[in-house]
Amino acid sequence: MPILAVKGLTKRFGPNEVLRNVTLALDAQEVRAICGENGAGKSTLIKIVTGVYRPDGGVLLVDGEPTEITDPQHAQELGIALVAQELSLAPALSVLDNIWLGNRKVPLFHRRKELRARARSALAKVGLGDLSLETPVSQLSIGRRQLVELARMLTRDARIFMLDEPTATLSDVEIERIFDALRALRAEGKSIIYITHRLGEVFQICDTVSVLRNGELVGTRRTQEIDRAQLMELMLGRSMGEMYPRWESRPGEPALVVRNLRVPPIVENFNLTALRGTVVCLAGQVGSGAVEVLRALAGLTFNATGNVSVAGEPLQLRSAQKAQACKLRFISEDRAGEGLFLRLNVGQNLVATRLAEYSRLGILARRGLRALAAGLAAAIGIDRARLRSPADELSGGNQQKLAFGRSIGGGEPGVLLMNEPTRGVDVGARAEIYRLIRGLCEAGYCLVLASSDIEEVLGMADVIVTMYRGRQVATYQRGEADVHRVLGDITHAVAAA
Amino acid sequence: MSAALLPAGLRFGGARARHLVLAARLVAGASIALFALGTPGFTSPLSVNALLNAVSFIGCVAVGMSFITLTGNIMSLCLGATVSASALIFLASLSLGISAAFLLALAFGVAVTAAQGLLVGYIRANPILVSIAGLSLLIGGAALVTGGQRIYPGGTGLQMFKGRVAGIPVEALYFFATVIVGQFILSWTRIGRVMLMVGSNPRAATAAGLGTAGAVTAAYAVAGACSALSGVLLAARYGSGDMELGAGYDYSAIAAVLVGGTSIQGGSGSVLRTLIGVTVIAVIEVVLLLRGFSEQLQYLITGAIVLAVIMLHTVGERP
Repeated sequence: MPILAVKGLTKRFGPNEVLRNVTLALDAQEVRAICGENGAGKSTLIKIVTGVYRPDGGVLLVDGEPTEITDPQHAQELGIALVAQELSLAPALSVLDNIWLGNRKVPLFHRRKELRARARSALAKVGLGDLSLETPVSQLSIGRRQLVELARMLTRDARIFMLDEPTATLSDVEIERIFDALRALRAEGKSIIYITHRLGEVFQICDTVSVLRNGELVGTRRTQEIDRAQLMELMLGRSMGEMYPRWESRPGEPALVVRNLRVPPIVENFNLTALRGTVVCLAGQVGSGAVEVLRALAGLTFNATGNVSVAGEPLQLRSAQKAQACKLRFISEDRAGEGLFLRLNVGQNLVATRLAEYSRLGILARRGLRALAAGLAAAIGIDRARLRSPADELSGGNQQKLAFGRSIGGGEPGVLLMNEPTRGVDVGARAEIYRLIRGLCEAGYCLVLASSDIEEVLGMADVIVTMYRGRQVATYQRGEADVHRVLGDITHAVAAA
Repeated sequence: MSAALLPAGLRFGGARARHLVLAARLVAGASIALFALGTPGFTSPLSVNALLNAVSFIGCVAVGMSFITLTGNIMSLCLGATVSASALIFLASLSLGISAAFLLALAFGVAVTAAQGLLVGYIRANPILVSIAGLSLLIGGAALVTGGQRIYPGGTGLQMFKGRVAGIPVEALYFFATVIVGQFILSWTRIGRVMLMVGSNPRAATAAGLGTAGAVTAAYAVAGACSALSGVLLAARYGSGDMELGAGYDYSAIAAVLVGGTSIQGGSGSVLRTLIGVTVIAVIEVVLLLRGFSEQLQYLITGAIVLAVIMLHTVGERP
């Protein structure tokens, strides 16, 4: 009998169905990988099983019994433990305190000695037998913190461990230690659900793999019975169809030249020559350094070094104002946090970086600004009637268009740096944003995108730079790359094989 | 995330919540107006005068406070002390002539408050803590210099800042001018627009390469100038001063800012709203006074109203 099963699970957020009729069963002592592209529904599934979200349809079975998991505490009592991507340890407290922190079974009066003994045995099981219980967690590496987290879940009598991309930010040695710990847990009779983007890991550590695509379960396979290529087919499935515009490459002169860019502690010796009228995609997973390269070029990291020139002019790094002056514009994927001024209206957002051109002696030319906003709104396809409504009333897709609109216009076309240009954007708006990107390209802009969405990379790029843990793996011209090569590069299958 | 966990019925749509708040505002405004006009003696010259006076002194500080709130720095606890200290400087330097004294007081207010703005803007120091430190320094410094004595004017010319023109108290004229200049800065100048953007989303403002630290400093400088003006008006009215002169003005000012509907999170609001906030509070106070409520009850009722308004806005601002 499976210890955990879901049947016909469905979850909606507003009009979006993020999980549709998902049925899965997990046995004791099974390590199950869950794979799928961004937005496939992996994290939502985990959050339902751990009681963070309530499903809109379907049943959960624990030990064969239909169970309604009401909240994360309830999941904990059932032995279901989430090892979160963002670690939930308290850095200032000791390893011992962290292990017992939040454990509801510790009585008010307890024997410290017993707690110590049990903590020590849990740590030993995850390979941290040599760690002093008094060490503050802040002194541990990220990898060791994850192991402490595993030990913490062990002391809570967890039977099912959920790991959401545990290796995204770890080094090889640390990953190996996590794997050892997971194997030890399995030998103890525990089950593990393992979400990952790195296909190599699926074959290294997992018994079975379930693939989600657009909220639906595509299939579950034993890892011994399939190979990488088949797994990738399951993940990508659909054709790349009409989503992406057709285009002819018309590269111009170099717009952005990067030499020896270093962004400690991730990016080493990054080099790039990006031409006008082209889209360059930096393809990589979380921790690949692609995002850090963009942020460094936009002047948003304080420790970047290297030689960068924009349209032949040298650029001073580490200053967002200098980058802006060089027509280097950054479009953040985090629209609410870093991209837009959501409490200001659409028009004010559109002209945010253009105030200097439209003011005299510090006084704004309001009529000019209004005309500018109207022109930009027309260029990106936002209704002029919305110029006065607050930006937070726009949909995700329209907000992304707004971020585009803010970054274009004003003389010579510049360089646009975009991180995950379609994150949180629905399918319809996606196609529109891709057309917008191509349109800008034809107008002479140079676009550098960082993306972990391989389909998007292949559908949009003139040049693909694959990255893995801060280093460039390869550079492909349009047509030279295919899904397998790119996926292989960014998940570093070569090293894993 | 948390919104997703709420049942749909409990969630406010952005636009719907805004309409609700607007309706509540209109109803509240209308009822206050009716209540005031129905109070015997409210329209008498005496009470109108009292109203204008109450509005003017606190109003200037509230206009300044609006800039601090709008740039996302919540409030300053130091503006009241700045009012007092500027008043002392003004009185003590009257012997140099009225304009020189006025400019000195103004320069003092700007310097003291802009210095705090520098710390908040460039070092990202916590604005509340910085203002508490500023408060201590001002009170300590003043005690050291004055030895705790009251300060009396060292010269003449005070009537420039008191009396009336065309039947309107001069203080009110200065206050209205402050409102106009403040609103002009906010909506017609580049730095004002940047202040709004910094308040709305400081990280986005930094990422867009706007001069965020400069805008914050400028906002504090404006707040300092407004407080100094309030200090000068108070000094002229009372003819002498000590550090108690502007005590508590910070709280009255932030109450006015919030009642006006400026967001405590920054980025949304205006000086005109603060004008409304100041007026609403003053009207309520005058009405309570005219209806014979004791001073303690007045405080209590005003406090309750401020609380209600702030809760209303919080509901409206929830995403």
